[in-house]
Amino acid sequence: MDSPDHQITSSGSGIGKEKSIKGLMDPMCNPKALDDLAFRNIIDLLPCYLSIQDRSMHILFANQNFKDDFGEGIGKLCHEVYKGSPERCEFCPVQKTFEDNKVHISEETVQLSTGEVADMIVYSSPILDASGNVPAVIEMSTNITKIKEMQKELKILGQSIAILSHDIKNILEGLHGGAYVVEEGIKDGDMELAVKGLDIVKRNIAEISSMAQNILYSSKKRDLIYRKVSPNEIVRDIVDLFQEKAKAMGIQLKHETNQSLPLVRLDLMSIRRMLENFIWNALDACMKDKEKSFHAVIVKADFHDKFHFKFEVEDNGIGMDEETKTSIFDEFYSTKGGHGTGLGLLVVDKIVKEHGGKVEVFTEPGKGTTFRTLFRIN
Amino acid sequence: MENPSKIIIIDDNSDFRFTMETFLKRNGFETLTAENGQKGMDMIEKERPDLILLDVMMESIYSGFDVCKSVQSNPDLKDIPIIGISGMGVELGVRPDKLGEEDYFKVDEFFEKPVDKEKLLVKIKELLAEGLVRKGKAVRIHDKVYVKK
Repeated sequence: MDSPDHQITSSGSGIGKEKSIKGLMDPMCNPKALDDLAFRNIIDLLPCYLSIQDRSMHILFANQNFKDDFGEGIGKLCHEVYKGSPERCEFCPVQKTFEDNKVHISEETVQLSTGEVADMIVYSSPILDASGNVPAVIEMSTNITKIKEMQKELKILGQSIAILSHDIKNILEGLHGGAYVVEEGIKDGDMELAVKGLDIVKRNIAEISSMAQNILYSSKKRDLIYRKVSPNEIVRDIVDLFQEKAKAMGIQLKHETNQSLPLVRLDLMSIRRMLENFIWNALDACMKDKEKSFHAVIVKADFHDKFHFKFEVEDNGIGMDEETKTSIFDEFYSTKGGHGTGLGLLVVDKIVKEHGGKVEVFTEPGKGTTFRTLFRIN
Repeated sequence: MENPSKIIIIDDNSDFRFTMETFLKRNGFETLTAENGQKGMDMIEKERPDLILLDVMMESIYSGFDVCKSVQSNPDLKDIPIIGISGMGVELGVRPDKLGEEDYFKVDEFFEKPVDKEKLLVKIKELLAEGLVRKGKAVRIHDKVYVKK
């Protein structure tokens, strides 16, 4: 008899549902019934999905874990239940086991009855009858979504180290090169050459400073400090900060603000970081454009509609093609070749998401690019 | 006086172009620069340089790899030595120990940034001599190159 006093609970496959083995430890049970019940309960409780399929891929048996996450399932086709697909899976391990009586393993992406998509590792094993035929195959799947996510993070980390090392080497090249030019200028008493060298050194120092900030920002979790700030003031300050750099590059940098914009709640540090990254990109896009003789970057703050305000950074640089436009927010995508980790826009994306805002990109090859971020007026 | 050797620097980084130009000019070479692969290629065809200094990782439609392929598949240009340069070495799949193998990005020499300028200078001189041998303008006897009169 089942006794509620003897319950072993388990969180099953880690999906949060509590199940219990009732009677497993009950000394009053008859031993045979105990065996059957216990086995059945253990199978139901296995922290994996277990099913048995016949040759036509119909499910003959499924454990409770399976039923909880994929629905009843029995009598249905396994690919329908696991993947919602009328077609058999391309590399079906169950099919292979039917063919060669061996154990097979594969990785599959499935859809739970909640609609959630999960990565599974699937094992299939033959059930042999007395004459050695395989009338059915047992299939056992374990959810490895979390492992897959960790794998992805490790891969990104690996890529990021490779790209960071590339960028550091480029900046080092700039510093070495700049110092060499300074030295040659001094040696020859050619001050013009020395100043050119010094400009190269300064540019690369600015480059590595910005890179360090972005690395810090993307790697560290920091609490946002929301304060009432003026978007107009942010824009004016940041334009002042970049004025000298833009001038050295021969690019006009100006701001356009709207005096009727109210104070808004923002994390000042991250919004400045966001605009700095946009301005870096805009200046770079202008430097790369050899077609136009005049280049300008305009940083704007204005209303977007009644409920939203916007920041815009507009340049008339080289612009982007469709492929570049769709890749810019990818991890470590960079068009800067020697200069740029691809971290900049990733950081922008993070900041905008943290603020519940939205980024829009308008661009045309040869014409220029505008980055617009929209935030609620709160 | 003998004409100075002509070197084309193709790199999308203007600081690098300026530094290299200063360095090479001060070592007696004539230099030309291009900021992307397409312009570099046009310049190579027009100017027939003695050596190409090529950033292999420029982010443009016509990359350093494309320049390399175009030069090496053109019978008139294939003898021009190429020095590949990038901030990314092994990570990029460029393995100096495999230079010259089939199906591999072929350059005569590869330098990672930051470039050791003295080593670069030695290599440039070696490859300029090698270029002359390839073009039949010089002969190599016991590791020494003799320019034909």
